[in-house]
Amino acid sequence: MKRLISSAALGLAAALTLTACGGASTGATGGSGGGGEGGSADRLVIWNWGASDDAAAAFQEDVVANFNETHPDVEVEIVSQPFDQYYTLLGSAIEAGTGPDVALFNGGTQLKSRADSLIPVTDELSDITGDLAGWPAFQADGETYSAPMFLQGFPIYFNKAIFTSAGLDPENPPKTWEELGAACDAIEAGTEVDCFALGNKEGLGIEFFMSGLGSGIFTADEYDAWIDGERDWTSEHARQVLTMWAESSANGWYNDGANSTAMFNDSFDLFSGGKAAMVIGLSSGIAHWKQFDEFLGEDLGFMMPVTTNEGTTIALPIEGGIGYGVLNEDKKDIAVDWIKATVERDAQADYALAGGQIVSNTTVELDTDITSAQEIIAELPGSKPLLHTALSGDTLDLLHRSASSCWSAR
Amino acid sequence: MRSRGAARWIIAAPMALLAIATIYPMLYTLNIALKSRVDYVLDRGGLTTDLNFQNFVDAWTQANMGRYYLNSIFVTVVSVALILLISSMAGFALSHLTFRGSRATFLLILAAMMIPFQVIMVPFIKTLSDFSMINTYPGLIVAYVSQFLPFTIYFMTAYFARIPKEITEAARVDGNTIYGVFGRIMLPLGRPALLSMGILNALFCWNDILISLLVMQSPSQRTLMVGVSALRGQYPDNVPTYLAGVLLVVLPLIVVYLIFQRQITTGVTAGATKG
Repeated sequence: MKRLISSAALGLAAALTLTACGGASTGATGGSGGGGEGGSADRLVIWNWGASDDAAAAFQEDVVANFNETHPDVEVEIVSQPFDQYYTLLGSAIEAGTGPDVALFNGGTQLKSRADSLIPVTDELSDITGDLAGWPAFQADGETYSAPMFLQGFPIYFNKAIFTSAGLDPENPPKTWEELGAACDAIEAGTEVDCFALGNKEGLGIEFFMSGLGSGIFTADEYDAWIDGERDWTSEHARQVLTMWAESSANGWYNDGANSTAMFNDSFDLFSGGKAAMVIGLSSGIAHWKQFDEFLGEDLGFMMPVTTNEGTTIALPIEGGIGYGVLNEDKKDIAVDWIKATVERDAQADYALAGGQIVSNTTVELDTDITSAQEIIAELPGSKPLLHTALSGDTLDLLHRSASSCWSAR
Repeated sequence: MRSRGAARWIIAAPMALLAIATIYPMLYTLNIALKSRVDYVLDRGGLTTDLNFQNFVDAWTQANMGRYYLNSIFVTVVSVALILLISSMAGFALSHLTFRGSRATFLLILAAMMIPFQVIMVPFIKTLSDFSMINTYPGLIVAYVSQFLPFTIYFMTAYFARIPKEITEAARVDGNTIYGVFGRIMLPLGRPALLSMGILNALFCWNDILISLLVMQSPSQRTLMVGVSALRGQYPDNVPTYLAGVLLVVLPLIVVYLIFQRQITTGVTAGATKG
């Protein structure tokens, strides 16, 4: 028995020694500075959700290099967190005082709902205001909390080859809701594919539908009021969004199982694979012109939202997508320089071309002959913010459930 | 005789369906992990003909799996060893030793099982931070032991309670100390339950993401499952590489299960009859 106890004690002591060594070794390099911990002055801990591809990784390296030009002695530690746990993890870490110095945020609802935890950088970023688009998604209560790196929008892409097969003119895509309905009827009758690719497991489909087509449904005044927070959900046009959503489903516009497949990335893969004629895509890290061009080439088309009601002003729905916010007051100065490094012109220009992102820096000219990309860029000056990101998290959840109910009723 | 064969088939058919439902996702994962991204987008359901092992190489390098494997193995082994040591002692004490407050202690442990980690995670991490245990192996090990210990103590208590007290009393009469009874009688008799709990706790520790993410915030300190989940990014664009990473992570678990499957199935039901 003594041997057993001795062996166990010896094993335990060895384990604790090893773990203590592990802990000691991390002391020098680990331990995020965090909003509550202060951290090392020559170290900047940054959280994001990782580089999605080689182009994104190269962009991140460029940003670090830009930052180190002004702060050669500051060690940048980038911590990539899984996106699906990101905000839960970040919130817990901030509350526990173990958060990072800087963290990546989605613009709109995600950033604004966490503005209380962020350090305002309004004055510090005032010198780059004129160079970037998409600021409203990173502003709350008159303060700016981040600079938009990229623009997030919901352009409608279509497959010209499928349009041709269905007897439609690919150079003149639908411009009204009626024409869109007729096009879907023709595609259903003349081809084997679906009119729109859609995945909706998380209820996100309604977000794309509302923001993607909203400028043709709401009048310009209604649209602006919606963005400003003056929303009447019982109004004719607000109700019309859900009615159109239900009708489009009932009319068989979408792929089977759309209500049970994941939004990302099934619907985009279906479109890329030529299994659907249209998709409401993105302009950020995925489902953008470059990715679709890889599969569709010259068959890739871009169209603006269709006109549903009179008195509307058709606009490309796009706004600030993602940007870094400052969590640690003690490191505000170097954190601001990190933010500025992320929107530096050359790095953004390289990434826009290699990664397909529509970047926020308006001085960047996209050097590509891909038509859909240039058409999207051309629509940026008249663009409008996304309707759904103006909503609170609770309202968005309710909208998801309402939209799912419409499908269930189908 | 014929009716017995028919009965077997009636039982076997749903079991076979259940087995297919379990195995199919793994085969589906393997099939996609061997495809290029383009092949996946164009025909995700079809059988792959051009085997693409590059996904496994990419997953291994992008997720820093070499380092994370070592981290996971170390943390899992030490955590499980501590859990088994403490739980077996506690189980013996609670089931065979009479002391004031034993029932209250057992109820307290039962209550601890009913609190989800999400409820206590902020104060828990705050406490670890106050003790400078964030980003340390001891911090993660303490977190795992504290989270998984209550159930294991409950299980071991229930298991040891099935062993007649006459056996331990006879051992005491033969001159064994209380530690002798524990080491010579209870531990050998509790081996199936300990093995079962060891494997289950190893699965818990190995598969955990949330606790590891909260405690190990430094990239170099992470565990394997966290490294793989970070492969997804916001949009899981390169699904074949991600699934190749998932396969690399679950491979050791499958091997362990195949080796110990009999002990797992017998051990899981062993302690559940008496509390």
